[in-house]
Amino acid sequence: MRGRTNAGLVAGGALVGLVVLTAVASFFWTPHDPTLVDAAQKLREPGGGYPLGADKFGRDTFSQLMVGARTTLYVGVVAVGIAAVLGVPLGMIAGMTPRGWLSELIMRVNDLVFAFPALLLAVMFGAVYGAGTLTAMIAIGVATVPAFARVARAATLQVMVTDYVLAARAAGRRRPAIAVRHVLPNIGSMLIVQASVSFAIAILAEAALSFLGFGTRPPTPSWGRMLQESQELLFSTPRLALWPGLAIALAVLGFNLLGDGLRDYLDPKLRRIR
Amino acid sequence: MSDPVSTLRVEGLTVRAESLELVREVSFTIAPGERVGLIGESGSGKSLTALSLMGLLPEAVTASGTARLGDRDLVGVPENRVKDLRGRDVSMVFQEPMTALNPLMRVGAQVAEVMTLHGTPRHEARERAVAMLERVRLPEPGQVARAYPHQLSGGQRQRVMLAIALANGPGLLICDEPTTALDVTVQKQMLELIAEVAPALLFITHDLAVVASVCERVLVMYGGRVVESGPIREVFTRPRHRYTEGLLAASKLTPRGTRLPTVQGSVPSAGQFPDGCVFRNRCPHATPTCETAPALTGDGHAFACWHPAD
Amino acid sequence: MTLYLLKRLAVLLASTAVAAVVVFAFMALLPGDPAEIALGVNATPEAVAALRQQFGTDRPPVAQFLDWSGGLLQGDFGTSYVTSSPIGPQIGDRLGVTAVLVLGGMAVALAVAVPLGTYAAVRHRDPLGAAISAVSQVGIAIPAFLAGILLVFVFAVQAQVLPSGGYVPFAEDPGEWLRGLLLPWASLGLVQGAVLTRYVRSAVLDVMREDYLRTARAKGRGSTGALWRHGLRNASVPVVTVLGLQLATLLIGAVVVERVFVIPGLGDLLLNGVAGRDLLLVQGVVMVLVAAVLVINFVVDVAYHLLDPRLR
Repeated sequence: MRGRTNAGLVAGGALVGLVVLTAVASFFWTPHDPTLVDAAQKLREPGGGYPLGADKFGRDTFSQLMVGARTTLYVGVVAVGIAAVLGVPLGMIAGMTPRGWLSELIMRVNDLVFAFPALLLAVMFGAVYGAGTLTAMIAIGVATVPAFARVARAATLQVMVTDYVLAARAAGRRRPAIAVRHVLPNIGSMLIVQASVSFAIAILAEAALSFLGFGTRPPTPSWGRMLQESQELLFSTPRLALWPGLAIALAVLGFNLLGDGLRDYLDPKLRRIR
Repeated sequence: MSDPVSTLRVEGLTVRAESLELVREVSFTIAPGERVGLIGESGSGKSLTALSLMGLLPEAVTASGTARLGDRDLVGVPENRVKDLRGRDVSMVFQEPMTALNPLMRVGAQVAEVMTLHGTPRHEARERAVAMLERVRLPEPGQVARAYPHQLSGGQRQRVMLAIALANGPGLLICDEPTTALDVTVQKQMLELIAEVAPALLFITHDLAVVASVCERVLVMYGGRVVESGPIREVFTRPRHRYTEGLLAASKLTPRGTRLPTVQGSVPSAGQFPDGCVFRNRCPHATPTCETAPALTGDGHAFACWHPAD
Repeated sequence: MTLYLLKRLAVLLASTAVAAVVVFAFMALLPGDPAEIALGVNATPEAVAALRQQFGTDRPPVAQFLDWSGGLLQGDFGTSYVTSSPIGPQIGDRLGVTAVLVLGGMAVALAVAVPLGTYAAVRHRDPLGAAISAVSQVGIAIPAFLAGILLVFVFAVQAQVLPSGGYVPFAEDPGEWLRGLLLPWASLGLVQGAVLTRYVRSAVLDVMREDYLRTARAKGRGSTGALWRHGLRNASVPVVTVLGLQLATLLIGAVVVERVFVIPGLGDLLLNGVAGRDLLLVQGVVMVLVAAVLVINFVVDVAYHLLDPRLR
């Protein structure tokens, strides 16, 4: 059982590692300039310096995929960062004062934000501020805040009734001190798991938005937009849809496996039961 | 309804998990109307013995040997046949009343279910369910029948479990620590009720006082074997096996200041018991003779010990 | 239960009202004056002022909001500044299409997840049970629009048995209507089905460890019978919660899938509205989608309470 857990963790880590490495490598080297339009290479078949061929503008698919990994990670990191920075303190406050009006207010607002899915927010943001990577990231981030707040609140509630927190409170420690010294370290593992899962969702959302034209703007390469551009060529050149599709699926799979694996690894209780 | 004069005969019952022997060569009989206690610490194999009689052993755990209730085989029978015996010929009440009932189903329906499963028409089962609830002395049985389990107390739920167990008039009732999870005051009433209504009883517990108040005969299990058996009065006043002796000494109230007598060492985990006499690594009287397993011998009061207490 | 229902209903109404304020306030931030946009850069200030008065955008925001939300209560979403046609009927038409898409997707998801998830739980030690878990993990990683593209490739491009897109109204040709919806339903349903399979599996696994299943077996049921009679309803309690979240996800997923299959649903209307800078239309569609999510959450909460007597 232990072995299977680790297999998921290792596979997830490997896939995430591959995406990260690709993104880092793209800063130093790509076979071609991913944005270079070259009519001579239009819909070029794979081979000869174009490992995966070229698209209808003659841009190298492999180079676009590499830089697309960078876009994907960028959006994921910023969106999950926004969600964690806003959601975790709010969830902790709600969890440390479960009966207060502030807690009630936070959770109500949380429920309301929950009714605005990332895609809807992004379309609204896009309509107001213009579509682009930034609005997409902010929209995805804001839409993910409730998930972090809920996890942080639930975990905080559990930590608040443990003996060491009761002891600290009895000793007269103030709430902020308890939050930083006891609560945060103990809910950390839950938050890391949530971050991994949210990252996967953020990748899906970015891909969908770029597919709809509300995410990353041309010419910056993005897996979602590569898919959108390839859709009309599905009958003649299906490989153009294959590679970005595969990239999205593997990246999401990686973060999901990593999240599940971390959950099992970090939480011995769950490990024993499963 | 089963034959009222069916005697339970268990012979050479052995329970295995793969190559590990968890219960070994257990034999005993329970006559109709007889109340037999099965005592031992956790890990002694007492619950597995009971579950094997019900055909409810966990996956990958198997029983061999014979167990017969009247002319019906309980062990070594395929699941699709043994399930017809469960709840009709043999019934069981479990330790934890809080989780043993389906939380989404009304209590009356849960009692009626055991009857419809074994052929009672639906409307008749509903009526008899209320009668059964009354028989286990639940006040307002009609109201209880319409309640959901979470609306009842632990003691009430355990009575409901007893009503389910008795609904088809089984020949044998097995109780596995039925009162351990209950308040002390509720415990006593429950024990009296069980003693009164059981057709024939196999009562599993680690609590010697409880056995003494309910049963007439007792089987002492240790390391998956019956090490001593006999009438309660004899076994408890004059234990012969050294383990029983230790167990009784440990349960006696000791005056302040005296050392609390315990059985030295701790129960080994499954598969870690010594060859020969299973108790010899903890027994103060063990000699090289004990490397050979002693047989359970004696008429009436039997024990498996090379160096019995007098 | 009645008290709970009333309280929950009050919460639903309150949150819908707050959501309406949020949606309105958000769209009010939109740069640009609808009247100026409608008339173009060469319009005279007089003409703009006149149009502004006609649109009602010259009045204070609070009055505008009350006007708009008051209309919503009567099903009146206002008149588009861009196309000058009433918005309500458009939304009504499109809502039906999207609802059919979402409910069909949900049906596919349930048809996939309940049998597979239960099987994977009951046979969690078998290779096939483990394989179902693994495949569902991969399924989760595929976004609905990608599944759509893959399905189009297999069934429209390769096998050429189903259309790659387009929508034929039911009244026109029920057969073509069905053929057109099969792939969209599958793209939404298979992906959500993969997610749901995992929840069904873990819910059934949890239930299988429950004491009351052992009680059911002690009554004389076989293990399958016990699970069927006592397990599945208990397992459905946590699954219903997930189902609600999934309906909301499906609703949003439908927006994208409509794009893939060129289906004239709410998502299509929304994206066209954004592209045409049709503020009032976007506002109306967003409001409908948000209200739908809130109503779904309400229905799920109530269903949850109906299923579990402990909560009544």
